[in-house]
Amino acid sequence: MSNKKIVDQKAAWNHVYRRLNKRSLWMLHYCTGCGAVELPPTMTSRWDMSRFGVAPMVTPRQADILLITGYLAKKSLKRVILTYEQMQSPKWVVGFGSCTINGGMYWDSYSTIKQLSEYIPVDIYIAGCMPQPEAIIHGFNVLLDKINNGTANAWKDYYINYKKYRENQVKVLGEFVTNTDIEKEARYYGVVK
Amino acid sequence: MVILNGLIYLLVSFVTGLILMGISLKVTARVQKRIGPPIMQPWFDILKLFSKKTNISHGYMMDISVLMLLGGTLLSLFFLPNPYFAHTIYAADIIVLLYLLLFPSLGMAMGVGEAANPNGSIGISRALTMLAGYDFTITIVAVGLAIAANGITYFPAIVSSQAGGFIHWNILHYPLFAIAGFIALLGMLGEKPFEVMVAPHEIATGPMTEFGGKYLGMLFVQHAFALFIEVGIFVNLFLGGGNIYSFIAKIIGVFILLNFVNIVFARFKTEEAVAFFWKYPIILAMLQLIWVVIR
Repeated sequence: MSNKKIVDQKAAWNHVYRRLNKRSLWMLHYCTGCGAVELPPTMTSRWDMSRFGVAPMVTPRQADILLITGYLAKKSLKRVILTYEQMQSPKWVVGFGSCTINGGMYWDSYSTIKQLSEYIPVDIYIAGCMPQPEAIIHGFNVLLDKINNGTANAWKDYYINYKKYRENQVKVLGEFVTNTDIEKEARYYGVVK
Repeated sequence: MVILNGLIYLLVSFVTGLILMGISLKVTARVQKRIGPPIMQPWFDILKLFSKKTNISHGYMMDISVLMLLGGTLLSLFFLPNPYFAHTIYAADIIVLLYLLLFPSLGMAMGVGEAANPNGSIGISRALTMLAGYDFTITIVAVGLAIAANGITYFPAIVSSQAGGFIHWNILHYPLFAIAGFIALLGMLGEKPFEVMVAPHEIATGPMTEFGGKYLGMLFVQHAFALFIEVGIFVNLFLGGGNIYSFIAKIIGVFILLNFVNIVFARFKTEEAVAFFWKYPIILAMLQLIWVVIR
């Protein structure tokens, strides 16, 4: 078999994988912020997100999406990072509400972080304070399209630019240890040679 | 021919199990006035889980445990009487089948022990505690039905003793056994009043907490087979088995009924669940057993 054919086959399989990933997404909520109050109507009978195959999941090992609803205090940021690193790739992060974008109404707070994507890579943001269920569903549909196109690759960015992320994390949290060997994982996933 | 028959049997039971999982999602959604995920959702879930690039293993025992789990379930699949696949199935005692059903929990316990997640340990200890409830019940029911079928514990004989129309089904002749068996079935499958093992939002997902990606995919496959076997035991014991079409139709019917119970109930605590089994279903089963013996 020629090399091109193998590449074609690989691309075809990747396409199939992405299609499947799109149909089944389990999300882990990190609901310290007030935005979480909009999630129950989104999940239950009125707007029913499970139509798209999006379902809640309770452990990071099994989840595909990490949903950060609202502000993150500096202390809870560390837990988010630990949780994020425990998830298995491919994984996606959704920043939910204005607080994750620019601090929102906590823009001058001393104890919250202002922009989530400085600390972990974010695939999409859903703006609003707080976003309505329609906005959440639209946001998820955008994410599904991105997954389908193969452009939702923020998780790779974490491995490639780990130094930058780690620097920002340490700036806020001080030196701390995570149990995940990022360099080894990056080699495992074939992101970094 | 035997091998082909066996493969077809595997395929049929797997597909039925996945359809049952889909039905479960759909029924839950419809009762809650939702549209719900498509009935194909478990297929997508499993394929997605197998396409994950899992890199997390906690050691050799965890890898083995998943295989033991699936292997034990597949083994018990071939002890479930089914007339269409009669040459493949090793017809045996019902006691053997009930014994083999313990394998998956033990396999799981080994894997969870290696993973050393506290939620997992709590979950597996709950799962093994629940055995003290439903396993006694189902054993009394099975032995009672065996006595009723002229004292043989040979499972196909219990099934064939109900041949000849629904009027001969055990569910009509031994209704107390049927009630106890149904409750035991809820416990075996971990449906909601007895959902203490996999208690989402309480102990994460119980024993499965540390299993992600391909491991979880294997557990989903196992779950599909387990649904087919455990509901199949109930159908064989009480609803007269039947040919392959009616067998699957009965399985789906019983499973939908199970789901209705599952949706409307809240969760027992572990000790409450075991106490419930010893208070009601076991008493019912014992009463019927006495009736069967002295009749």
